[in-house]
Amino acid sequence: MEFNDGYPSYETMALHDEEHGKHVRKVIWKVFWIMLGVTLVELFVGFKAEAFGLSKLFLQFFFIGLTIVKAAYIVLSFMHLGDEVKALKWTLLGPFIVLVLYLIFMVDVGEGNYAKGRRYVMDKNVTDAPHHAPAAAHEGAAEHH
Amino acid sequence: MSSHAATTQVKANWGGGGVSPLGASYGKLYMWFFLVSDAFTFSGLLTAYGFMRHKYTDFWPNPGHVFHHFPFYDGSIPLAYVGLMTFILIMSSVTMVLAVEAGHRKKQKEVSKWMLLTIIGGLMFVGSQAWEWYNFITGTAEGAVRNILVDGVWQDQLIHGANLQYNEYGLPVFGDFFFFITGFHGFHVFSGVVINFIIYVNVVKGTYEKRGHYEMVEKVGLYWHFVDLVWVFVFTFFYLL
Repeated sequence: MEFNDGYPSYETMALHDEEHGKHVRKVIWKVFWIMLGVTLVELFVGFKAEAFGLSKLFLQFFFIGLTIVKAAYIVLSFMHLGDEVKALKWTLLGPFIVLVLYLIFMVDVGEGNYAKGRRYVMDKNVTDAPHHAPAAAHEGAAEHH
Repeated sequence: MSSHAATTQVKANWGGGGVSPLGASYGKLYMWFFLVSDAFTFSGLLTAYGFMRHKYTDFWPNPGHVFHHFPFYDGSIPLAYVGLMTFILIMSSVTMVLAVEAGHRKKQKEVSKWMLLTIIGGLMFVGSQAWEWYNFITGTAEGAVRNILVDGVWQDQLIHGANLQYNEYGLPVFGDFFFFITGFHGFHVFSGVVINFIIYVNVVKGTYEKRGHYEMVEKVGLYWHFVDLVWVFVFTFFYLL
């Protein structure tokens, strides 16, 4: 299986010595503590959200923001994407930047709110169907408070 | 000799074999692009979940009320158990990256140690998820009355827990998404454990020692971190928001 075709071998280029390993391990544990800290903060806020009277919008930004922080640490540090060449970084992350923009538009601004407005119409149709009558009583009660 | 140099010239181009593009080995690139497509699958699932969630904001079950069990404890502690699960998965991600690092120093013993710990962490996580499912499916002793379809007729019935058709805690679609997305993720974790185990056996056998590098550990590590990455999002969207 061993061969040498004269091309650079990324597999063996990744090898490093004891000294460098020490540094890498230090970074790994640092990232671990950051991830643990962020998760604990998230859980604490999630636990106390009602007691603190935090608004839904704030919680959304807070949790999604911290999730992206954690995701960035996993991808850039644990998966070593931070050490790869720029072209690879953009090739892999670019599509997701587009996806996030799409989601902000679709879920929060566009289609999500449209569907929310349509719900009452759709549920009314359901209400009119005789065999759905008890279901309508359930949903209706929650709707008109 | 001259013919060899000419071949090198041709081979160094994109797609011509030889040196791989984007400054990474072909194996790692394959894994990365697989993960991108897999991430889109999960994005699709979570987006569908987001739409339903947005649409039924007012009736969505509060995750803190649904997931509040803890092993060997009768009371209720919202989100504590899922916090523990998250910790287990992050921890196994750390042992995985430590295995990769040990592989870069070609320390066979250390790699096998960290790989084994990663596998144990993965099994613990899958077990925790099974327990979480069990509690959700079993539900509360009191149960709730829901209008469900029985033999083609809608009728009010006392039900406990949730399945794909009804959900004690609220909308059935919550249960559907919960089972489908955490199930899909759990299957990824399970596959990851199996793949990790195969690589672990190879490490112990000395396959990579002979090969001169431990890149397979790095590739399976990419997959494992991806599983952790997906969980970070599932955790936020299902349990926190």
